[in-house]
Amino acid sequence: MGRRSFLRTSAVLTTGLAALAASMKPLLEMNDFPTMERFLQKYYKEMTPQDMAKVLKRIEDEVEQQYGLRPHVRDLKPMDGVEYVYCLNLTRCIGCRKCVHACVAENNQSRDPEIQYIRVLRLPDGSLDVDKAEHFYAPDAVPEKGYFYMPVQCQQCKNPPCTKVCPVHATWQEADGITVVDYDWCIGCRYCEAACPYWARRFNFTKPSIPKERLNPDMSYLGNRPRRQGVMEKCHFCIQRTRAGRYPACLEVCPAGARKFGNILDPNSEVSYILKSKRVFIQLKEEMGTSPRFFYYFDV
Amino acid sequence: MRRAIRNYLVFLRRCAGLALVGDWRYYAWMGLLTVICLLGLHAYCRQFAQGLIVTGMSDEVSWGVYIANFTFLVGVAAAAVMMVIPVYIYKNEDLHDLVIFGELLAVAAILMCLAFVTVDLGRPDRFWHLIPGLGQFNFPKSMLSWDVIVLNGYLLLNVYICGYLLYCRYRKTKPAKWFYIPFVFIAIVWAVSIHTVTAFLYVGLGGRPFWNSSIVGPRFLASAFTAGPALIILAMQVVRRVTASASLGPASAGPGSAPPPPPKRRPATADDLVALTRYLPEIGSVPMEIRQQLLPMMEVLEVQSGDVLLRQGQTEDKAFFILRGCVVVKREEGGRFRITRTAGPGEQVGEITALNGTPRTATAFAEEPGLVLSLSAAALRLLMKSPQVNKIVRSRMSERLLITDRALMTLRSIVQVSMLINVFLLVNEVFKEFYSGNLHDASTKYLFVGLDHHHALVPWIWTAITFNLVAMVLLVLPVSRSLRWLNLTCVLCIVGIWIEKGMGLVIPGFVPTPLGEMMEYRPSLNETLVCFGIWTFGLLCYTVFLRMSVPILQGRLSKENEGAPEESGPSPAGGLGAYP
Repeated sequence: MGRRSFLRTSAVLTTGLAALAASMKPLLEMNDFPTMERFLQKYYKEMTPQDMAKVLKRIEDEVEQQYGLRPHVRDLKPMDGVEYVYCLNLTRCIGCRKCVHACVAENNQSRDPEIQYIRVLRLPDGSLDVDKAEHFYAPDAVPEKGYFYMPVQCQQCKNPPCTKVCPVHATWQEADGITVVDYDWCIGCRYCEAACPYWARRFNFTKPSIPKERLNPDMSYLGNRPRRQGVMEKCHFCIQRTRAGRYPACLEVCPAGARKFGNILDPNSEVSYILKSKRVFIQLKEEMGTSPRFFYYFDV
Repeated sequence: MRRAIRNYLVFLRRCAGLALVGDWRYYAWMGLLTVICLLGLHAYCRQFAQGLIVTGMSDEVSWGVYIANFTFLVGVAAAAVMMVIPVYIYKNEDLHDLVIFGELLAVAAILMCLAFVTVDLGRPDRFWHLIPGLGQFNFPKSMLSWDVIVLNGYLLLNVYICGYLLYCRYRKTKPAKWFYIPFVFIAIVWAVSIHTVTAFLYVGLGGRPFWNSSIVGPRFLASAFTAGPALIILAMQVVRRVTASASLGPASAGPGSAPPPPPKRRPATADDLVALTRYLPEIGSVPMEIRQQLLPMMEVLEVQSGDVLLRQGQTEDKAFFILRGCVVVKREEGGRFRITRTAGPGEQVGEITALNGTPRTATAFAEEPGLVLSLSAAALRLLMKSPQVNKIVRSRMSERLLITDRALMTLRSIVQVSMLINVFLLVNEVFKEFYSGNLHDASTKYLFVGLDHHHALVPWIWTAITFNLVAMVLLVLPVSRSLRWLNLTCVLCIVGIWIEKGMGLVIPGFVPTPLGEMMEYRPSLNETLVCFGIWTFGLLCYTVFLRMSVPILQGRLSKENEGAPEESGPSPAGGLGAYP
């Protein structure tokens, strides 16, 4: 190679590399660069208890480093002989949205941008057609005359369309009926979000932000541990509470007593009683064949 | 074996070399594409760092232009098959030379598809979760896992078929049928599958009534077979134009100049036939007595650079075998001249006229001083009585690069039929949605007439429908037989279908949400830049593919001229330098 062509080639190469480097500069402001450990983390169902213990400790370290508060992260397994069911009394619901905010607080959802699992619909009396629903009603006082309210969250379908479409098994139905997401396995394709007939899934379009003082340190792997940018999340019936024998946060906060939760396999549970004694209950979009574990009913 | 690998590596190196040299127009074009690509990369890096929040997507409309472009481009890739079917099933000669360009377009389109799905991922770093065996591959339940398989499979099939055919052409050997015909037929079925699977991606979602319709699959195929061949019609004209030069080169007789003296000729001898046998061993099968009969019908020409052996349009019926040197065949199309073939020692020119009596399809002239064996049509027929000679001569008849208007008109009739079917299916869909007036037509209403004061898509879809209808009318009228009108029609088809099945299909599926919320979507600037970047990347790939394959198809890059200095800049014969 002659001197001139060498000089020319190196000038072209240098310019090219400089242009490439300049165009990749935004990567320096990376929100969330995965460490090798996180990059290679195994799939939830393939982790041994030892693997899981390590991952849980690492998550606790990461959360402590970021929020200055040491959380307690567990991996709670489904209990034998338990299948969770939710019943919601539409006669009682007053549309106060306290459940929405209790859920956000309990489940460490992003405050900016806002992520909420529960959407309360205001419907005109007489119709269950969601196309007539008002999502952003804001009166001085609820309930309003002529309307009723229907909170919608993940319906925990027996036949969930979302898990079927996931290309990497990152979301699945647990033995107790809860559909969960492995936040560390989801690739963020959002196919499940398109598949869900209840608009129950939420995506982290950017890094979630939670004020330090609002962090709920009682966490679980498949539940309310802080999520990362670019992954899907959804209502999981407060898995960190319900698998430890407590009620979901939305139920506890409900001032109207509209929300009932329990084990359908236990004939003496409250939900068993409701489903046995009410003549009509509603499974939202029943015609989809999704068979929700979330039932709406009226008192009268 | 080692020799074969070495040869193949030399082939790859020479192809890569071709992509790096060219005249200033080529560098300017590639430079422009690279700059836009880097702008797209910059935008994507911003998205990678900050998340998909920099796009216009939301939980309400969770797929946008990325997936819209993906859907459109899967159709373009699938449409390559519309070139393959006429050639391999109906033995259409006109499209024969264009098949490779169609398949290379499919490769470029699939690369763009893969790029579009990758930029749509929230966690591209977890890409490996999709790799069967390494990650968790939800096959066969998830339609997306089917898509991963069919798209990558289609990419491999096309890369293999193009690579094999080009390598054979480079070595000037006849492709072994068993090595590619089965794959061609697999690719035909596969092409339909990639688009059907992509349609099923939407059709399978019961919660989205706008997509959950069995007509989506057929509509996808109809629109793909409209837009794909339309794109190929335009692309082929660009190839034809940039690979042609304004003059015949050294063979052009200037207006005032005296015609060059005719080449020296002498009667052929038995030694000349022996010399030919060295390059064309099949001659060895010709019996001695026939050789004796042949000799009086042949002569040997001593040609100088630029000497014309035959001229396009003439009917004089001699055929020629090259004994030494190199002969270039150029064809005039629309006032410009393009190399369709290059013949070296042992290869023939002029055989088509000699055998069929049709006028010369191109002009052949010597590129360098050499020896040419000239023989009459009767002599060629006599020679071809030997089955071996017949086979090799006939197989070499197809080794040329023609982009004829007839081929473009064949593509036009494909576009014509597909567009009629496409519009018919659209009418079916619109009738069903609007006439029955059921509750599930909210998305269709939003798309066509707007819903609850939201009409972002209305002007788009009506533009698309207008374009499609105008294109349909033009296609059925004879006016689209003229290239200028055909080109306009193709542009209308491509733009119309891009809107109709990109934005017009993906976005309304999300509006209103399954809970009845109205939220509109507009792509952000960042998102648009990423799209431009990917389209330019595809154009860059296609340019490089053409840059490599055109000289091979023209016979200018072959194993024989290995070691000869690579051409750069305008060569006397137009050659590579004339390509963009």
